[in-house]
Amino acid sequence: MRVPMRWLAEFVDVDVPVDKLAELLDLSGTKVEAVHRPSAAIGGVVVAEVLGITQHPNADSLTLVDVRAGSGDAELVVCGARNFRVGDRVPLAQVGARLPEMEITERKIRGETSRGMLCSAAELGVSADHSGILVLPNDAAPGDDVVDLLGLDDTILELEITPNRPDCMSIVGVAREVSAILGNDLRHPLVQVETDAGVASPVRVDVQDATGCPRYLARYIEGVKVARSPAWLTTRLLSVGVRAVSNVVDVTNLVLFELGQPLHAFDAANVPDQHIIVRRARRGEGMTTLDGHERTLHPDDLLIAEKKEPLAIAGVMGGGDSEVSDETTAVILESAHFQPESISFTSRRHGLRTEASARFERGTDPDLVSVAADRAASLIADLAGGRVAPDIVDQYPSPIERASITLRPRRAEQVLGAPLGIDQQASYLRALELEVVESDGALQVQVPLFRPDLKREIDLVEEVGRLAGFDRLPNTLPPGRTGRLDREQRAERAIRVLLADLGLHEAWTSSFMAEVDLSRLGVGRGDPAAGVVRLANPMSEEERCLRTTLLPGLLRSVALNERQRAPGVALFEMARVYEPSGERLPREAVVLAGVLSGSRRVASWDSPEEPWDLFDAKGIVEALFASLGLPAPGFSQAQGLPFHPTRAAAISIEGRSAGAVGELHPQTLVAWEIERPVIAFELALAPLLATLGGKPKVQELWRFPSNLFDIAIVVDAVMASSEPSRIIREVGAPEVVDVRLFDVYEGDQIPAGKKSLAYALELRAQEGTVTDAMAAEVRDRIVGALAARLGAELRG
Amino acid sequence: MSELQALLEQARAEGLARIAEAEDLVSLNEARVRTLGRKAPLSQARSGLGKVDENERKVMGRLANEVQKELEAALQAKQEVFQAAELEQRWERERIDVTLPGAVPPLGALHPLTKTIWEIVDIFIGLGYSVAEGPEVELSLYNFDALNTPPAHPARSAQDTFYVDGAGEEVCLRTQTSPMQMRIMETEAPPIYVVVPGRVYRREAEDATHTSQFAQIEGLAVDEGITMGDLKGSLSAFARAIFGGDLDVRLRPHYFPFTEPSAELDVQCFVCRGSGSGCRMCKGEGWIEVLGCGMVDPALFEWAGHDPERYSGFAFGMGVERIAALAHGVSDIRYFYDNDLRFLSQFRGIA
Repeated sequence: MRVPMRWLAEFVDVDVPVDKLAELLDLSGTKVEAVHRPSAAIGGVVVAEVLGITQHPNADSLTLVDVRAGSGDAELVVCGARNFRVGDRVPLAQVGARLPEMEITERKIRGETSRGMLCSAAELGVSADHSGILVLPNDAAPGDDVVDLLGLDDTILELEITPNRPDCMSIVGVAREVSAILGNDLRHPLVQVETDAGVASPVRVDVQDATGCPRYLARYIEGVKVARSPAWLTTRLLSVGVRAVSNVVDVTNLVLFELGQPLHAFDAANVPDQHIIVRRARRGEGMTTLDGHERTLHPDDLLIAEKKEPLAIAGVMGGGDSEVSDETTAVILESAHFQPESISFTSRRHGLRTEASARFERGTDPDLVSVAADRAASLIADLAGGRVAPDIVDQYPSPIERASITLRPRRAEQVLGAPLGIDQQASYLRALELEVVESDGALQVQVPLFRPDLKREIDLVEEVGRLAGFDRLPNTLPPGRTGRLDREQRAERAIRVLLADLGLHEAWTSSFMAEVDLSRLGVGRGDPAAGVVRLANPMSEEERCLRTTLLPGLLRSVALNERQRAPGVALFEMARVYEPSGERLPREAVVLAGVLSGSRRVASWDSPEEPWDLFDAKGIVEALFASLGLPAPGFSQAQGLPFHPTRAAAISIEGRSAGAVGELHPQTLVAWEIERPVIAFELALAPLLATLGGKPKVQELWRFPSNLFDIAIVVDAVMASSEPSRIIREVGAPEVVDVRLFDVYEGDQIPAGKKSLAYALELRAQEGTVTDAMAAEVRDRIVGALAARLGAELRG
Repeated sequence: MSELQALLEQARAEGLARIAEAEDLVSLNEARVRTLGRKAPLSQARSGLGKVDENERKVMGRLANEVQKELEAALQAKQEVFQAAELEQRWERERIDVTLPGAVPPLGALHPLTKTIWEIVDIFIGLGYSVAEGPEVELSLYNFDALNTPPAHPARSAQDTFYVDGAGEEVCLRTQTSPMQMRIMETEAPPIYVVVPGRVYRREAEDATHTSQFAQIEGLAVDEGITMGDLKGSLSAFARAIFGGDLDVRLRPHYFPFTEPSAELDVQCFVCRGSGSGCRMCKGEGWIEVLGCGMVDPALFEWAGHDPERYSGFAFGMGVERIAALAHGVSDIRYFYDNDLRFLSQFRGIA
């Protein structure tokens, strides 16, 4: 919302500097996003009269324009626009002039010398309109400075209006805020319309949907001469970024910005029988709106129609057929109140936001309907010579009632935490033009309809608070309590810290994945639709699904870093995956995944390059379990994508499946365009957290030394080395307290198809030292079991 | 000079000469045996002590001890010299060039968004809050309806909000962490002091300051007698803790559908320190917007079944990427989701 200071000053005295006013507006809830001073960047732009227009000899799209600024010589400028005629006044940026985006020099354009430039509104920095040269009013004197003419030396506040404040979508509404902030009186615009008893309004209005249109008012004006607006009106509109069109249309725009009530002017000749119907669209109905778009209407769209055809989409945009044109002599002026939701839906449905719809969808003031119509009618009479019919059509069957709210001053103090007496609170509310009566220690407040956001006591508390100023509130703290993370939250933090300490960088990747990511991983076989939550409106097919695994995102990051020639990539992520649950909301589970690729350590003066390998990943998982105080994880050879068929393990915790670790299948790497092998692990967090023990209880320390001995056995080469380990632990208990595999050998020393496994065992006695006899007995027990159950032979 | 005395003097002289001649620890040990051993002259001379009268025995005994001490001292001194020399050689043999590069174990790092969340959460833990998380796929009922978002609100449109396929507009990806306000108030009785970090989703075209998924932290304090002064005090304390204790903080009235009064919290720009002029960080405003906040709207208490006359509270929400970007000078928040190691490895310090 642009608020020119000169326009604002018509309604309220501003007796503080602009920067101070901006700060006060900020601190009362109307954020000032920018303060524009357009003239600061403009110099040397003058009014010029167009003397002649000829075609550029070397370019079809260009013309040569003869212009004269004041008493000087005619100058020739090259111009690309054709929206003006000989005799028009246009802004000429002379050689040496400054514009916000450029400086003007004498230039040759396709062989013709241009002594300056004709400017669009956008080039002058006054609006975004660069559709053509800004044609100035005919009464502008050639040679005059355009900055003065257009009032560009004004200061303009750019305000952010929050959606709850429709009243601030107008200059008068902002003036009301300023008046409340500064304590200066608000001057309402004086509205007096002179009607002509000789004119009778032929207008009939039939509101068929009073819910969508609670109030519809129409005035009739005839004898109108449509022409260009005078300079003051052009300037005023320009200062809020709107280009002047014609006196009638410009007046409706002026009132929209001044009062906040959108108006529409129909050419009465194009409304058959001057009969207006307000109704919903019919199925299949369509119309062409002013912007030239042909639109198919929705049965919920509210229309302004004549007997057969739509004239306008109510509150959003008019149609081309009933537009006011140069031939128009009689005007039907519409001033109405529409239901905000209806306008909002229609505006969104058609992707059509206009100055009118922006106001209607927030909620306009129904009481303003007649005031705005009168203001516009009197201006049209003044500027276009119209005669205003005294009779008005005003369909307002169920006037909207003002809210009446009780404010308990004590309540305001309780919410705000500051002592603000009843009188002070009343004066803040009165400054906003609310009607306040004190009774029984409370305030009875009548809320004018321009503040539809004020419905409840708390709404008034907010008004009191913001006008008092939040800087007046004390800084207090609520009563103290104990805050801490719970055990699972501490575990999640510990996991992240551990993995970072083990050399992995934490990643945050997208929660989305492509449908094809699952088949790229090779895990989406069978019914690809099963087990995935899909979005109805993804940004792209690559983001169609919610992820069921963290691997796609991590692999994208591996590929990115590989392209950046990172010698090694080690990433982990702990985040959610999603799967349908059969309930309304999907199941969300936290998963921990890691990817390792390239060098764990680059070659150095004392050691060769060391690549990340499968056992690093396994070791990380084992370290993770150990550091959380969990029982050691189980690993078993597993086969399945996305992993290498013979280089992956399923991970279990206390017999329950918890995830997998392995080298990724080469075809998975191809899908993500990764060159080097990648080792990955993925673990569901829930089984780990469910197995967390309490605070560890300390065991008495051993008083006697343990006894160490080795066993080497020969087994089939394909046997999992975890099998003998498990049996040794099982049958070695309770004496065997630790088993460590220290050598694996296949080769000439043992038969083909066999391998040797060597274990170091640590023995302890329940009491006292381990005797030779005890050690021998345990050893026999273990060797016997390994032979019987695995066919293992003791190696020499 | 008695015969005994002559023997002792001789033992002294010979012993000292032998010790002096020793060239290494081996010959010194030999010298030790030859000067202090049982067959050495000193021992033999001592054996003569029993043969002299009491007076002389006393004098000679003292002399023998004196000689013994002197020889022992000479041996000790010599030994120390040899040991020192030997150590010296050993140290040279064992010399290591300690300026060679160390064997640095692989170094990882926590993600800057994780660190930022922890930093923020820890400040609120210090203020007595606990931490909760909620569903990212959420019912529109909680994400919008319960938070006073009217059915016509543009934020609900499929243009702005992701909806789950097959559920109409009933199930969405939460656009804010605020629905957890409602979920917590529904299930817990006050007092409630909680912060809720988590990912949220909005259909935004991505650029340097927007991504379609990002992280927020929500906060909620509900108790008897909570005032807007408590909001101001708590959030000012937070803003100073994270951006700097000497910066000014201000509350600026704003609008959110589920708080009333509502405000935005600004902290004085920590680059230009409020002067504003020409500052790129705050775009000349002198202030940086940090979070949105407000007093919990009574309608939310009613929805959750708590008496708004008895309980009051405040709520706040902030964007993690924005705060991380401000704190670390990150120019494009999309970096947070690229996981480029050249970026991630820059976040190792202590926040």
